[in-house]
Amino acid sequence: MRRGIFLIAVMPLIVALLAMPVVQATAVSKVEASGESSSYRNVNLTWELASPAEDGDGFHIMFSESSFSHTGNATIHSTVFTASTDGMVQPAVGEWYDDCQSSSGDDDWAMVFRSENGSAVVPPGTVAIRCDLTGMPVGAEVFLAILPFDSHWISGELSEVVGATSTAVDELPPSADTRPVWFAIGSIALSLVVLLAVLGWKERSAQGRSAMLYVAPALMALALLTFYPVGYGIVLSFTDANQSALGEQSFNGLDNYVEVFTSAGFLRVLGFTLLWTVVNVFAHVGIGLALAMALQGRVKGKVAYRTILLLPWAIPSYITVLIWRGIFQYDGLFNGLLGTQIDILGLPVPAAAAVIVVNIWLGFPFMMMTISGALQTLPGDIYEAAEVDGVSPISQFRHLTLPMLKPAIVPVALLGFIWTFNMFNVIYLMTDGGPNLWFGEPGSTDILITYVYDVAFRRGMYGLAAAWSVVIFLILLWFSATYMKKTNATEAVV
Amino acid sequence: MSDLAIRWFAPLELRILSGMSFLSCALLSVVLLFDYFRGDYDSMSIHGVGLMALTVMILTAIDFTEEGRTRRRDMGLMASGITLGCGVIGLAIRGAEYLLVDLWAGLVLLIPGLSGLYLLSTPLVSRWVGSTIERVEAEDGLVRNRLLLPKWQAALKHVVLLHVVAVVMIPVLWIIDVAISPGDALQGGAMFSSPTGEHFSNILGGDNFWVWARNSVIVSIGTTLLGLCLAIPAGYAFSRYRFKGRGAMMFTFLLVQMFPGIIILVPYFMVMKSLGLLNTAIGLILAYSVTALPLCVWMLKGFFDTVPKELEEAALLDGCSQFGVFYRIILPLSLPAVAVTGLFSFLVAWNEFLLALTFNTSDDMFTLPVGLASYISATDSAWGDFAAMSLLVAIPVVLLFIVFQKFLIEGLTAGSVKG
Repeated sequence: MRRGIFLIAVMPLIVALLAMPVVQATAVSKVEASGESSSYRNVNLTWELASPAEDGDGFHIMFSESSFSHTGNATIHSTVFTASTDGMVQPAVGEWYDDCQSSSGDDDWAMVFRSENGSAVVPPGTVAIRCDLTGMPVGAEVFLAILPFDSHWISGELSEVVGATSTAVDELPPSADTRPVWFAIGSIALSLVVLLAVLGWKERSAQGRSAMLYVAPALMALALLTFYPVGYGIVLSFTDANQSALGEQSFNGLDNYVEVFTSAGFLRVLGFTLLWTVVNVFAHVGIGLALAMALQGRVKGKVAYRTILLLPWAIPSYITVLIWRGIFQYDGLFNGLLGTQIDILGLPVPAAAAVIVVNIWLGFPFMMMTISGALQTLPGDIYEAAEVDGVSPISQFRHLTLPMLKPAIVPVALLGFIWTFNMFNVIYLMTDGGPNLWFGEPGSTDILITYVYDVAFRRGMYGLAAAWSVVIFLILLWFSATYMKKTNATEAVV
Repeated sequence: MSDLAIRWFAPLELRILSGMSFLSCALLSVVLLFDYFRGDYDSMSIHGVGLMALTVMILTAIDFTEEGRTRRRDMGLMASGITLGCGVIGLAIRGAEYLLVDLWAGLVLLIPGLSGLYLLSTPLVSRWVGSTIERVEAEDGLVRNRLLLPKWQAALKHVVLLHVVAVVMIPVLWIIDVAISPGDALQGGAMFSSPTGEHFSNILGGDNFWVWARNSVIVSIGTTLLGLCLAIPAGYAFSRYRFKGRGAMMFTFLLVQMFPGIIILVPYFMVMKSLGLLNTAIGLILAYSVTALPLCVWMLKGFFDTVPKELEEAALLDGCSQFGVFYRIILPLSLPAVAVTGLFSFLVAWNEFLLALTFNTSDDMFTLPVGLASYISATDSAWGDFAAMSLLVAIPVVLLFIVFQKFLIEGLTAGSVKG
């Protein structure tokens, strides 16, 4: 009896559960791909939906270089989500590496929206989507298909697999006019020869004249390959030179500088660069000093220690940086040794800490060796006198060693500052400025120099990059001058 | 208590204990950081208690005043006990799955804990604490302190140095491990079990390595030769002659060394592009020889300064020409120095990455650094092949560096300290 009541009570619930519509991924009705009409290394892909897309639906674009029948043999090229697009930006054509457009019927194509983390989003009700996919091999057929999924990330049925061949060939721009460069080089060389000739002619002794001859080649190389490019760079920073219009740049006044100082990432990159530099230089000098002191005097195994501690300097830095990148991978040694599961290079703060740790590791031997060289020149009798007077080791270090080391440390620290400020390899090879690396903006671990590299060689904006370079140079110049004045290092340097 | 020896004497054991605890405190901070990474808050609180106990140990061990010695000794003993307990509990918490780092963290606590218990209960310390120490004993103790303290300090120093050595060596050992492990496993682990040479035969059997090595050799030797041709005469002139503009020119060479590479990079690229020197060896040779030039000039000037001037004067008197003096006397005498400077510019060219990456973008013109980096990309990384290749590239460079370290460092630091 009681069981019957229970069944009656539960029955509507079961019926309701059974009657509830199962959420299903929107099916794809038609897929078309074409490589003929698109641009270099691009393939166009258009797909239509069996029913208008609902909130939460998504589409993976699967891609492979050979035909495939299930998703395991293909990789995801891009993903498009369906969601409410309120408050999202709608970038123009060409701002993103994969341009997509969506249509809600009647061929009214509109650009997709981009969420904060850069995902492509189309509004609900979309019936067709077309994408311009980059990075395809030229002249070889690639295979594409759409894998729809629903709001629970459950995949629907893989669409028909279509093939396309990208045929567009990149047209090289006509080679730029090289005459101005040759003209500049020639005139610089000529004026240097004239200058040296005048100096040599004014020189009375034969010695002086031959000295001019000896110095001339080095000076010439320096003028042509250092000063000329620097001057050219400064000129470039006032022009709109870019990748597609090389040699046809025109002056645009201070536009580049205005863009540098008003760009969204300027303060953030500058801030991280300063943090990066200051932490590194302090750690280098501190660790170097501590190790130099520890290896001072008679220590068992000194040669072995010194040789091992030199390794970070001796091994080429691009190799060690890549090794560290391997150690900090998700399945790498760091997580293995600690038994943790941290995606170090994928999170902003851990990534920043990791690049700083690696650079500290790389840089301390240089400081150790220079400081240890300077320690050997300190007079020993002062310490004997201090010992007799009962000065404690800590006071000896503070009041004798540090002041006497200062003339050696001050210029080396400045050099370390400039080197660290411009340390390209570590950031570029470890994180490439990422994570959070969106087009046109600095990533979480970008420092000024890696960002300039991006501006120049990823975005191809040479004029803007030159302006950034000049700003960096001025910052360094200002810092060096202030530092020298504050520490009175000028006598030590010159 | 009027005796000076008794007043001055403090047992060696206390000094050892405070030094040891201080070191343990420093290491324990790293342990706490690791606990935080692991999200292991139980261990973290245990280690935190250990850190506090160690602090108490330091505070009791560095205070030698006569009043309250007994109280401090007792507190020190208690703190040692707590430290020891924390070490044991910390190990127990991790259960059966010990990692190397757990054992290390345990030792960081167990060693000072056990030493504290032992050192604070030795007869000498007990008598010192009870102020019943004899004069003779105190005098002996002072001698003992003087003899043994440096040894203990050296031992602690070695512990610190060994930790630094471990941090330096871990990446090196890891890359060797990955190079001889099969597949692209990032954990390696086959160093002793099943070493394989597959990655080395991949690299040596493929074309890439030899093409890139050839490019690197051409660029580096070209840089060395061109750099020396430019730097030797200039260094000689700066060392021997006094002429108008000498100071200004030398300062220019210093200044260039301070130039950040980035300001040159973009215009360099544009000039090289205009001249059609991208993807050639000549473009890189030109750029590198100027990069290393200022330092080479300064290094060589320093070496030439050490060649006695009398030799030249004698040769001049004997009818040798100016150039003859330079060519026949100076150059042979300073050949070792020239060789070291050459090695320096060779290494600069061999290790340079940024310009090579920017100028030579087609993969048959890569130099070794750029080629090596191309093995590791965001999507697909051949770690095993990369490891084997980096060993092949790094070992000669490291050997050269270590053999010539004295000269290289002297030259480098002289250049950098002066500029």
